[in-house]
Amino acid sequence: MFTQFFGNYLLNKQLVDTKQLADALAVQKQTRPRLGVLAINAGYMTAEQVDMVHAEQQRVDKRIGDIACDMGFLTHEQVEELLSSQGAAHLQLGQALVNSGAMTNTEFAEALNSYKNENSLTDVDFSDGSGAKIDELIKKFYNFADDSRSAYLTEYIALLFKNIIRFIGDDFTPLASTKVTEAASELAAVQKITGDFTCSTVISAPEKAYLGFASRYAGEELTELDEMAHASCGEFLNLHNGLFTVNVSNEMNTELKLQPQDYLENSGISGEIYVIPLVFPFGTVSFMAVL
Amino acid sequence: MSVETMKVLICDDSILARKKTKTALTQLGVTQIFEAADGEQAIAAYKEHQPDITLMDIVMPKIDGVSALKAILAENPKAKVVMASSVGTQENLKEAIKAGAFDFLQKPISEDQIKVLINKAAK
Repeated sequence: MFTQFFGNYLLNKQLVDTKQLADALAVQKQTRPRLGVLAINAGYMTAEQVDMVHAEQQRVDKRIGDIACDMGFLTHEQVEELLSSQGAAHLQLGQALVNSGAMTNTEFAEALNSYKNENSLTDVDFSDGSGAKIDELIKKFYNFADDSRSAYLTEYIALLFKNIIRFIGDDFTPLASTKVTEAASELAAVQKITGDFTCSTVISAPEKAYLGFASRYAGEELTELDEMAHASCGEFLNLHNGLFTVNVSNEMNTELKLQPQDYLENSGISGEIYVIPLVFPFGTVSFMAVL
Repeated sequence: MSVETMKVLICDDSILARKKTKTALTQLGVTQIFEAADGEQAIAAYKEHQPDITLMDIVMPKIDGVSALKAILAENPKAKVVMASSVGTQENLKEAIKAGAFDFLQKPISEDQIKVLINKAAK
């Protein structure tokens, strides 16, 4: 889950633009991080040393790991260890950005190290989507700390990200949230939660993104804005909210109720609204908590 | 009872959820499948078709799933009604079981869960 926030960090620091990031996210799953990116991430080699090894590979017909060992930058054990971590999502994203020319090895290494330092993260945290670290990051990222409902909101968002990764995909980037009193919505699925934490939850998007999101959840291509498209967005919302009420019941000992979903077209939404936009390859989908 | 002759009623306000469940049931060989999109329709469809097993969502318009469960059991105390919901809190679970639900499935429901359920009901 940290990978998505790291994507936002790259955007905010203007190290990549939205299109470069979206393109990289679209291909990251098929991208195997090369040894250079892995070695920089592990702190075994500097970006300059990786460049030296790559330059050497132009001259000799040897595998990159063997060259790095010959040059004394890595041991064979380290090569084995690095190759076993090729599945790490943030490294796949990094390699995709390097491959497309959006970033150099050095820029990626510097950005990743800065991000890890600023958020006190380790590689283990990156591959672990649960636990206190992610709650901390969400609180910091979304600035719920001043809100008396911070515990509910943090739980809601942490679970939302897990459910999106599980049921929609991990190729999204969260943008900073805004707190507004009015929001316009082209298409929306809405479900109210009642109880100690009363809140209307909303999935809102323009048609292309709404259909894109609905298609992902339904597991089939939905091209028409019909009952199925609305039902798909509504069912995801209901599923997420249902799991949220289970967590709240278990962890906070609070019983919440859900109302049936509703669907809006070209409507205005008003209240105390947290807008949480997520950028997917098919467009931006905004999740809202209307308090 | 064989799977082929079994009558199943799916009650869910989501057309997508009904479609997914129906596809899974069809693949298991169930041919008599009926649908209801809210609690009111669920009670009416139960009376009309007398299904062997009813899958019931909880959060639904008009009449919620637990109220529909109670109405169906009032009609037939031996009705096999399985609650299928994303809201699997202990309280909902206790309420459904206390009201007489045959089983409780936490959404998202997998094809394997439906298979186990149908085989259990067929016994």
